[in-house]
Amino acid sequence: MKFRANLYIGGACFATAVIVGVLAPLIATHDPVFDANLMNAEIPPGWEYPFGTDAQGRDIYSRVVHGARISLTVGLVAQCINSIIGVSLGLTAGYWGGWWDDLVSGLTNLMLAIPSLIFALAIMAILGPGLVSLLIALGLTSWSYSCRLARAQVLSLKSQGYIQAAKILGYSDLRIMFTQLLPNILGPLIVIATLGAGGSILAEAALSFLGLGIRPPYPSWGSMLSDAREQITTAPWLSIFPGLAIFITVLGLNLLGDGLRDILDPQSRERTS
Amino acid sequence: MRKLACMAAALAVFALGQAEAQTPRKGGTIRFTAPYAASLNSLDIHTTPRAQDDIVGKALNRSLYSWDSAAGKVVLELAKSVSVSGDGLIYTYKLRDDAYFHNGRKMTADDIIWSYTRILDSSKGFPGVRYIRIIKGATDVEKGQAKEISGLRKIDDFTLEMTLADRVEPGYYLFNGTTAILPKEEESRLSSHPVGLGPFKFVEHIPGSRVVAERWEKFYKPGKPYADRFVLLMMPEAAARDLAFRSKEIDTSVLGPAQYLVYRGDPELSKGILEVAEMFTRSMQFNPAYKPFSDKRVRQAINYAVDTDLIIKRLVKDKAYRATSWLPSASPAFDKSMKPYPFDPEKAKKLLAEAGYPNGFEFEISTSANESWGLPIVEAMIPMLAKVGIKMKPKMVEVTVLTEVAMKGEHQAFIGSSLTGPDSLATLLCFYSKTPRTGCNYTSFNDPAFDKLIDEAKQSADPEKQNELLRQANNLLYEAAPVWFFNYNKAVMAYQPWIHGLQANPTELTHQYVEDVWVDERSPAK
Amino acid sequence: MLAVLLRRLLNVIPTVGAVILLIFVLFSVIPGSFTSTGAEDGRMLDPQVMERMRKEMGLDDPILERFGRYVGHTLVGDLGKSFRTREPVTKLIADRLWPSFKLAMAAMGFAVLIGVPLGFIAALRPGGVVDSVSMIVAVSGLSLAQFWLGLMMMYLFGLLLGWLPSFGYGDGGPRYLILPGLALGVGPMALLARTTRAAVLDVLNADFVRTARSKGMAEARVVTWHVMRNALVLVITTIGLQFGSLMGTAVVVEKLFSWPGLGSLLVDSVFQRDIPAVQGCILVIVLFFLAINTLVDLAYAAIDPRIRYA
Repeated sequence: MKFRANLYIGGACFATAVIVGVLAPLIATHDPVFDANLMNAEIPPGWEYPFGTDAQGRDIYSRVVHGARISLTVGLVAQCINSIIGVSLGLTAGYWGGWWDDLVSGLTNLMLAIPSLIFALAIMAILGPGLVSLLIALGLTSWSYSCRLARAQVLSLKSQGYIQAAKILGYSDLRIMFTQLLPNILGPLIVIATLGAGGSILAEAALSFLGLGIRPPYPSWGSMLSDAREQITTAPWLSIFPGLAIFITVLGLNLLGDGLRDILDPQSRERTS
Repeated sequence: MRKLACMAAALAVFALGQAEAQTPRKGGTIRFTAPYAASLNSLDIHTTPRAQDDIVGKALNRSLYSWDSAAGKVVLELAKSVSVSGDGLIYTYKLRDDAYFHNGRKMTADDIIWSYTRILDSSKGFPGVRYIRIIKGATDVEKGQAKEISGLRKIDDFTLEMTLADRVEPGYYLFNGTTAILPKEEESRLSSHPVGLGPFKFVEHIPGSRVVAERWEKFYKPGKPYADRFVLLMMPEAAARDLAFRSKEIDTSVLGPAQYLVYRGDPELSKGILEVAEMFTRSMQFNPAYKPFSDKRVRQAINYAVDTDLIIKRLVKDKAYRATSWLPSASPAFDKSMKPYPFDPEKAKKLLAEAGYPNGFEFEISTSANESWGLPIVEAMIPMLAKVGIKMKPKMVEVTVLTEVAMKGEHQAFIGSSLTGPDSLATLLCFYSKTPRTGCNYTSFNDPAFDKLIDEAKQSADPEKQNELLRQANNLLYEAAPVWFFNYNKAVMAYQPWIHGLQANPTELTHQYVEDVWVDERSPAK
Repeated sequence: MLAVLLRRLLNVIPTVGAVILLIFVLFSVIPGSFTSTGAEDGRMLDPQVMERMRKEMGLDDPILERFGRYVGHTLVGDLGKSFRTREPVTKLIADRLWPSFKLAMAAMGFAVLIGVPLGFIAALRPGGVVDSVSMIVAVSGLSLAQFWLGLMMMYLFGLLLGWLPSFGYGDGGPRYLILPGLALGVGPMALLARTTRAAVLDVLNADFVRTARSKGMAEARVVTWHVMRNALVLVITTIGLQFGSLMGTAVVVEKLFSWPGLGSLLVDSVFQRDIPAVQGCILVIVLFFLAINTLVDLAYAAIDPRIRYA
C-alpha cells in the first residue's frame, strides 16, 4: 500500500478547520463583531492580539476563528446544494432517459457553458450581498459536474443484474434510485463535492474582491482578505491570517479530494477534471 | 488635529507654490490614473456625467467657464471679458478669437450656440440639460416648442449675448464638463475620436486600458501645455494602483484612508501628497417616514451619540474634515464660528427619553461597501449607538442601488456622500420642501422657516446678503439634524516628485487643468 | 469529421437559445438601473433627464416587447446599443476580444508548459516523494485566492524586483502579459498536472503495456504510443475545457491588472447596469466556450477515429 500523503495532509488541514469552526465560541478571545474599539485599530500581532487587530480594532484571531464557521458553511452548504441538485437530476435523467434526459442534458450543457463565477456574480447582483444570497448563488451554479457524473454512472449500472432484479421485485423507481443506485455512485460524488467545496470558498473570496460578497459585519475569510488588500504590504497581518486560513482549508479539501479519489473511485481516472 | 491637518494642507500648497517658481520644462508625458471605474463611459463629454470621464475631458475639451482653484471661484475660459446688465440677467461675452478646435477650425459664437442647443435635445437625455436651463428659452427648446434658444444671440463671430431665466451666477453652471463647447462638424465621431478645444489632442483610446493625447500646438494659452503627451490609465483597483505608483509606473494616484495614513508616514512618499477639502458631504440621512426619525430629538441624539471625531481620526485616518452642518467648509456661506455636535452619550440618552424612547429603538441602515462612507463606518457606529440603546442593523447594497433606495423612500436611513458645491444655493435646495425626493430631498425635509430663507436668498441680488441667508439656512439644518453630519471629504492625491503644477481643485481633485501641469526630467516616462 | 461537427452544432443551438433566454430573464429582474448610476458620486440627477434616458433605452417598455426586440436583434447579430457608451455592443466587445484572447493564450501556455511535465514527472514514481511534492505544489496553485496571488506577484516582480510592469496593457506585448497570464494560469496548471498524472498512470498500468515491456523495448514503444494517444485525448479535453472557460474566469485577474478584456468590461457593465453590454459579453463568452469545445471534439476525431462522439 502506498503512502497516501495527500489524504493525510488534506484530512489534517480540513479537520483543523472544522474543529476550529466548531469550537469557535470557546477558543475565540473576543467577540468578532461587537468588540470593536477604534482606539485599538490596526495593532500588529503581539501578546494581547496574537494575529493583530483590524481597522475597526477587532481581534483578527477571533475573526479568523469565527470566520471558519462562515467560510466552511459557504463551502459545505453550497456544495450540498450543488450535489443534491446534480445528483437528483443526474440519477433521474440516467434512469428514466427520454425527454427528461434530454432536458437535463441541455440544462447541464447550459450550466457548463456559462462560467460559474459570472453566473454567481449575476445572482449576487440580483439578490444583493449576503450569506443566503451567496449560498444560493454558489449552490445553483456548479452542479453540472456531479450531474454528469451521476448520469454516466447510472447509465453504466442500469443494466446490471441487481438493478434488474430490483425491478422484477417491483421496487419503485425512486426506491431503486436512492437505495440501489445512489450508494454505488456515492464515492466519486463525494470526491467531486470535496473538490467543489474548496472552489466555493475561493469563489466567495473572488466575489468579495469584485464587491459582491457576504454581508459584513460577520467575518468570512474572503471578505477579510479582500478588505485588507490595500494594506497588503503595509499592514500585512490583516491579509496574511485570513489568506492562510483560506489556503490551508482549500488545500486541505483539494488534497483530501485527490486522496479520496484514489480510495473511493479507483478506476475512474477519466474524470479527473 | 484638524489644525494639524490644515497645516499639512497649507504646507502641501506651499510646496507646490515653490515648485511653480522653477521654470516649467517643455516636453515629457503626464501619466494620470482614473480611479473610479475600469473604463470610460464615453469620450463625447456631453453624454456622460461621470467624474471619471471628465478627467480626460479636462485635457480634451473646454467649457465657457473653468474653475480657478487658486482663487477658489469660477473664471472665464473661452471668453476674454463679460459685461452684465443692471438687472443681472443679460451677459455679453467677448469670446476668444484664438481658440482652435483640434481639427484646425477657429471657435466662434455659433459653436457655443450649437453646443448648448445640442445638449437640450430631448431625445437624448444629455446630463448637462440642467445647467443650460438657466438660459432663457432653453426649456422651450427642451420641450420641443422652439428650435433656437431665445436667450442666446450672436452679435458677431466673437460676441455672444446670453439672457438668463433667473438671476444666478452662470459660471457655476457653465464650467461643467458636460457643457463643453464641441464642433458641430465632428458630431458623428465625437464618441470614438473626440475633437475639442482643450490643450491636448486625442491620439488613441484602448477601452478599458488608457487614453492617449498629444500636445495641441494651437492651444490658446501661450507656451502651454508644457507636456508633449497626456496619458490617462484606468486603474480602479486601489491596491494595484498603490503598487504601480510605488514602482513609478504612474504619476498620480488617488488615495483612500488606509493608504493616506501610510503615505503620510513614509519619508519619501509624504513629500508628494496633495490634499483638498472637496465639496462632498458625507452623512447618514434619516427618513422621517420611519417614526422615530420624525422626531428631531431622536435625530439630534444620534448626532450626540456617535463619537464622530474618533471615527474620522481612527477609521478615516484624518482623510476628512469634521462636518458641522451641510455646506462644506469651502463654501462662502459656511459659518466658521459654528461648532459640530459634541460627543455626549448622556445628552443623547436624555433626548431619546424625552422623545419617548428611553430604551432606545431599532433601525435598519442601507449602506454601500465604500470605505469612506459605507460599511466600515457603519460597523464602527454600531457599538457606539448600542451604548445609548439604539440597535442599528446594516443592510448592504451596491452604490447603484443605494441611489434608488434613497429615491424610493422605503428605507429607514442610509449613509452616503453628496456633492455640496460649488453652488451653495443649489446645494441647499436639496432641503427645500418643494424639491421632490427624486430631485435630491432624500430626507423629505419640510420646514417653512428654511423655505423662507431659501426663497429670500433666491431673490437676493447682493451676493453678501445671499450668503448670509444661506448661512442662516445652513445653521437651521444643523439644529434640525435631518442627517447625521459626518464629514467633508478630504480628497488626497499622491504625485511623483517630477510632477509640478497640480491644482487643489475642491470640486473634484482628479479634474486637473492639465495645461498647467509639467514634468521635470526625472520622470521615467519617455 | 463532418458528422461530428454537425452533431455538435445541433447540440449547441438549444444551449445558445437557452443562454439568450436566461440572461434576458436574469438581467430584467436585477435591481438598480443605469439611469441612477450617474448619481454614484453624490452628483444630483435631473429627474427629467433620467426619464428621457429610460425612454431612449426603452427601459420602461413592456417586458415582452423588450424580449422580442432583444431576441430579434440578437439573432441577426445585433447585440444592441450600450447604455454607457451609446455605441453598438458589438463594437465594444470587438475592442476587447483580442486582449482577452491573448491573456487566455498566455495563461494556457503557462498551464501547459508547467502542468503537463509536472504531472508526467509525478506519475513516473506514483506515491513517491516527487509525486507527493509536485502534486501538493500543483494543488497549492489551485488553493490560493487569485487576487491575492496577483497582488503578491505585482509586489514581487513589479515593485521589489522591477522586472516587469505591474499592471496595464502597455503595447500589449509579452512583458505586459506575463504577470496576469501567470495569475490566471495557475488554476488550469494544477488541473492539468492532475489530469496528466492520472492519464500517464493509466498508460503505465495498462496490462498490455506491462506485457509489451517484458517482451522488449521496441514493442513497448509501439504499444506505449497507442495508449499515449488515449492519454492525449484526456489531456486535450482538459485543455479545451479550461481554455474555453478562461475568458469567463478572467474577471478577477483583468480587474486587478487593469487588463482591457471582456471580463473587465463585463464587471464594469454589471456594476453600472449596462444591460445590453452585460448580455453581449456573456453571450460571447459562452459562444467562445462552445466553439473551443467543438474544436476539441474535432481533435478527438482526428487523434482517434474510433472515438465516437457521445
